[in-house]
Amino acid sequence: MRKSSIRRDALIAVGLLVLLAALPIVFPSKSFSDFVMRASAYAIFATSLNLLVGYAGMVSFGHGLFFGLGAYSFALLMQKLGTSIPVAFALTVLINALVAAVIGAICVRLKEIYFSFLTLAFQMLLYSLIIAWTAITGGDQGLTGGVPRPPFLGVRLDEPHHLYLFCCTVLVVSLFLMWHLVRSPFGYTLRMIRDNPRRAGFLGIQVWRIRVLAFIVAGVFGGVGGMLISLFVSSAYPDFAYWTVSGEAVFMIMLGGINVFFGPLVGAALLLMLNDLVTKVTEHYSLVLGVIILIFALGLRKGLLGFVMQAWTRYGSGVPATVKSAGTSGRN
Amino acid sequence: MLKIENLQKSFGGVSAISDVSMYFAPGSLTAVIGPNGAGKTSLFNLISGAMRPDTGRILLDGENIAGLPAPTIVRRGVGRAFQIASIFSSLTVREAILGAVNAHRRWYARLGRRFPLAEAQAQADEVMELVGLTTTADTLSGNLSHGDQKVLDIALALALEPRVLLLDEPTAGMGAEERWQMMETVHQLWERKHMTLVFIEHDMDIVFKFAQTIRVLSYGRVLAEGLPEEVRRHPKVIEAYLGAKYDAEHA
Amino acid sequence: MLACFASASCLVTQTTGGLISGMLLFLVAAGLSLIFGTLKVVNFMHGSLYMLGAYFAFTIYNVTGSYALAVLGAALGVGLFGLLFERLFMSRVYGTDVLMQLLVCYSFILILDDAVKIIWGAEFRSMGMPAAFQRPPIIIAGGVLPVFYLFLIGITILVALALGLVITRTRIGKIVRAAAVNPTMTSALGINTTLVYGGVFALGSLLAGLAGALAVPVRSLVSGMGFSILIESFIVTVIGGMGSVAGALVGALLIGLVRSFGSIGFPLFTEGLMFLFMTLILITKPSGLFGKEL
Repeated sequence: MRKSSIRRDALIAVGLLVLLAALPIVFPSKSFSDFVMRASAYAIFATSLNLLVGYAGMVSFGHGLFFGLGAYSFALLMQKLGTSIPVAFALTVLINALVAAVIGAICVRLKEIYFSFLTLAFQMLLYSLIIAWTAITGGDQGLTGGVPRPPFLGVRLDEPHHLYLFCCTVLVVSLFLMWHLVRSPFGYTLRMIRDNPRRAGFLGIQVWRIRVLAFIVAGVFGGVGGMLISLFVSSAYPDFAYWTVSGEAVFMIMLGGINVFFGPLVGAALLLMLNDLVTKVTEHYSLVLGVIILIFALGLRKGLLGFVMQAWTRYGSGVPATVKSAGTSGRN
Repeated sequence: MLKIENLQKSFGGVSAISDVSMYFAPGSLTAVIGPNGAGKTSLFNLISGAMRPDTGRILLDGENIAGLPAPTIVRRGVGRAFQIASIFSSLTVREAILGAVNAHRRWYARLGRRFPLAEAQAQADEVMELVGLTTTADTLSGNLSHGDQKVLDIALALALEPRVLLLDEPTAGMGAEERWQMMETVHQLWERKHMTLVFIEHDMDIVFKFAQTIRVLSYGRVLAEGLPEEVRRHPKVIEAYLGAKYDAEHA
Repeated sequence: MLACFASASCLVTQTTGGLISGMLLFLVAAGLSLIFGTLKVVNFMHGSLYMLGAYFAFTIYNVTGSYALAVLGAALGVGLFGLLFERLFMSRVYGTDVLMQLLVCYSFILILDDAVKIIWGAEFRSMGMPAAFQRPPIIIAGGVLPVFYLFLIGITILVALALGLVITRTRIGKIVRAAAVNPTMTSALGINTTLVYGGVFALGSLLAGLAGALAVPVRSLVSGMGFSILIESFIVTVIGGMGSVAGALVGALLIGLVRSFGSIGFPLFTEGLMFLFMTLILITKPSGLFGKEL
């Protein structure tokens, strides 16, 4: 039965991929496919952060570190070493995992607000390194010279359509893997630790090891998001590692709802749309975004998708809303 | 077999446990009693690894477990439940117990398969049946009644198949009738599981009804120990804890 | 960097530079630490208050020509701003998720950074040395010590002493310490926690505003200038211990000196050194040098 539920989810994933691949037939404009590619990177990134925040109860505020690290590692491997794309991809995953293991081992023992701040501090360390190490990173100008996109296995990423399909595939595969993860025994252990770490310890669970493992997994997927963005813009900029990236990711997952698996995906897409919309009208994007976040933080707390799902379950099934709303975090 | 030798723990100069030695026979059912602040919960914290003792040994089947981290002590076979039910409020009863089974079998970090694991189901069902949570299996833990939350807390420990089970006031915060029901459940699972069970209790009627043996703590020291009848007649216990009134009523 | 240790003049210059960085950092970190100790929230926009203090002082000085007035006005202005922020926004998210507190602060960082750009422009601004301090620097062993540095160090030491006295000797300090240990207890004792929270937040903000105003003659102003000092303040409070004024002072001086000496030649190494130092503290003494149990 469980085997088949994995198979069923895989089938759904393939279906979604076909749907995404077919979308440019309906919306042939370049701006649409660009949007999907950008959103893919941020959706993977935001969902990976939600593994920590929503499932493990670890409020990282420095997750942008892995976005930046992924972008720079990938771009530099391609540019300086001239490796093939799959090799650079694999090496970047490895680099992110190692860095996450070290930083995670230092950070996860700390209480929540210390954890938040320390992860942020480590992100700013990476940012400073990128700015200062001009010879390798290009400093505040970012990497110049572009990221080469050599063909591999018949995939030619220098062709827009191939790049689009590649981004969609990485998105669907990443989401499928994370979806599977939160439904594995490990995923339930994360929920137990989020709810009551002390009790988890008294059940014989090595809480800090699980937390480090969660940190590594999230760091790897955060890096995958970074790789996609550097592939898309064909460069890497210090902004990818700046703290605002983490801030935006936190807002994305809050916007979509942390209790719903696809909340961060929706949040990422919404925030990018908002970004495009606002920057068209005014140059004061931060001001507008700040006001929106403030209104959201003081008002609409469950996230849009969480809000919709709550309304749906309340009016749709007649089950008391309190039970359901408490349940969403456990079920997803 | 659980044996405690010369256990000592103080907080900032104040002794919580001083020179405590105790022996719990395999398969025994023991009550630990004593006035508030006598060090009962501290004793459990030391045995279960929530705190490190300053000095002294805690021997579990001859091996010293004093000062080991809590997860390690759990693995050696010491389970515990808490005075205030310590549960996972956003998981259903079934999910929480399955999670505890996973923890016990060391399946809890598995990434490759889906939860729940088929091989964990039977044991989880057995635990729920044993404590009577089968009908509430799909209720969220946080939505259970107070009494059921306490039962779930014990069930989580039971899923670990402990050799020694420490229950910190299993009847805390319950009405009179519910208390007796709870103790019947505890007594039943002690009989069926053949484990060493130690519980902290304030209600003397319950203590004398259910406990095989009793340990009395006062100011962090062992005041008296023995069979219920011996403890009841112990002059120091009468003086320090039970009081003359109790003696007069029950003599 | 090693060459500097051989030269007395370089040593003096770098030490005094490190001291003033440390002093500014102390003022910001002390406020952050005080707010965290009492309210149990990290004021994530604390660096923005520092920035605001700098711009307030810049404007007041340009209008009135008096630096004393600029410092006073900036500190009080930012203190008032902090009070309003706490009452109107922050107090609504106490007791909720840490995420909400982060978001509220995050939104204010964004808003203030853009507001500063709109009001004062996006380019770097600098005020220059106020007339009162335009004197020849004191020369010690060939190293320069500008007169303003003495003033800055003197003021900060006074503030540190006053803060220490208030916290250890006065009734207000007692309440703040009690609130830090057990917030429910203080409200049960009939102490108005709303007042304490507002007051402490205002005081912490005032310190950040003061730091900003004192920094104007020696730093250039730009939107977003508060963020790096926020990160450094956090590192300082980790090293010194959250809630400890003495810890903040020691930590700030350490970081100031590490920064100043490291900046000659090894900027990469400096950042790394700060983090290495912080990590070592976290591993060996998680509550910081002067902190109590977390």
